[in-house]
Amino acid sequence: MAVRPVLVLPHQVLSTPAAPVGRVDDAARALAQDLLDTMSVSPSCVGLAAPQIGASLRAFVVDVTGHRKARSCHGPFVMFDPQVTRREDPESAREGCMSVPDLTGDVSRAKRLTVEGTNTDGVRYTLEVDAFEARAVQHELDHLDGLLFLDRVAGPHALFERKVYR
Amino acid sequence: MARFSLSAVGADRPGIVAGVSGALVDLGCNLEDSTMTILHGHFAILLVVSSPEDVTSEELESAIEPVAQAFDLTVAVRPLSGSNGNDQKPDSTGGEPWTISVHGADRPGIVHAVTSALAEAQGNVVDLATHLVGEAGSPVYVMTLRATLPGGEAGEAAAEHVRSSASALGVHCTVHPDESDLF
Repeated sequence: MAVRPVLVLPHQVLSTPAAPVGRVDDAARALAQDLLDTMSVSPSCVGLAAPQIGASLRAFVVDVTGHRKARSCHGPFVMFDPQVTRREDPESAREGCMSVPDLTGDVSRAKRLTVEGTNTDGVRYTLEVDAFEARAVQHELDHLDGLLFLDRVAGPHALFERKVYR
Repeated sequence: MARFSLSAVGADRPGIVAGVSGALVDLGCNLEDSTMTILHGHFAILLVVSSPEDVTSEELESAIEPVAQAFDLTVAVRPLSGSNGNDQKPDSTGGEPWTISVHGADRPGIVHAVTSALAEAQGNVVDLATHLVGEAGSPVYVMTLRATLPGGEAGEAAAEHVRSSASALGVHCTVHPDESDLF
């Protein structure tokens, strides 16, 4: 259980598709706890993927609890080897990322998503997420494929520099 | 290290950016921030380039000259002050980020009215784009800009001042704070 440093561009792991976790063992559970611990020290951070802390594995955590834009909210949850089975209703909104501290960008994401993954007990489960939680999940899923919001930004005028990282 | 701004405009055709960037890299320069876009059929380049310390404006202009001739570009080069090897970008953007969108029937004065109201409210334009579209008989003007405004109530008052300046010209204006979330 530890707070790990969040890697930033141009670290290569951020652009590398991650490997499956497979069987959930103590190492996987420790990774999940590290992700939760690291996410929790940044109050404005609502999700974190394993590659962002240097582990090129298909695992992420999300917690949109208390966020003013959240509709669905499943509290803090961990997913290993996630898979989207349905996505609907694209919508554009501005995203930032702890691994890209100097920029934000407008990205189109599905407003409604069905995603299945494995929990820390090794059990496969499914979540229906929408609105803000759906965006957070899709952002983290991209990290597992070696993609950043920069890879999906709508165009040159949809990318913005930020001086203060909130 | 030295820094220069370079602007170039010419009738648009393929190869301009490849040509200009090639001349810059051959001189040992690094193209930093830029914006390049087609404006009414003309390609407009505005860029900041860093170079080895001993490169002068004249050398930069000479290096670009063959490309400027080939593509019939009007080019201007200017040294930028404050480039003493410091990599930090100068920051004039205090305040909170807002987005302003304006659209309506085209007429002279729209950009001036909105940006004057912004300046009066201590706002600063960060990025701005306009488009003149629509039919010949009913041209439409669309402006989108990002600006910094003071925070809190002063920001709301500034936003209202900008909205009313646009209304006075008969164009629609929305002003809203930028929000982004960290994932």
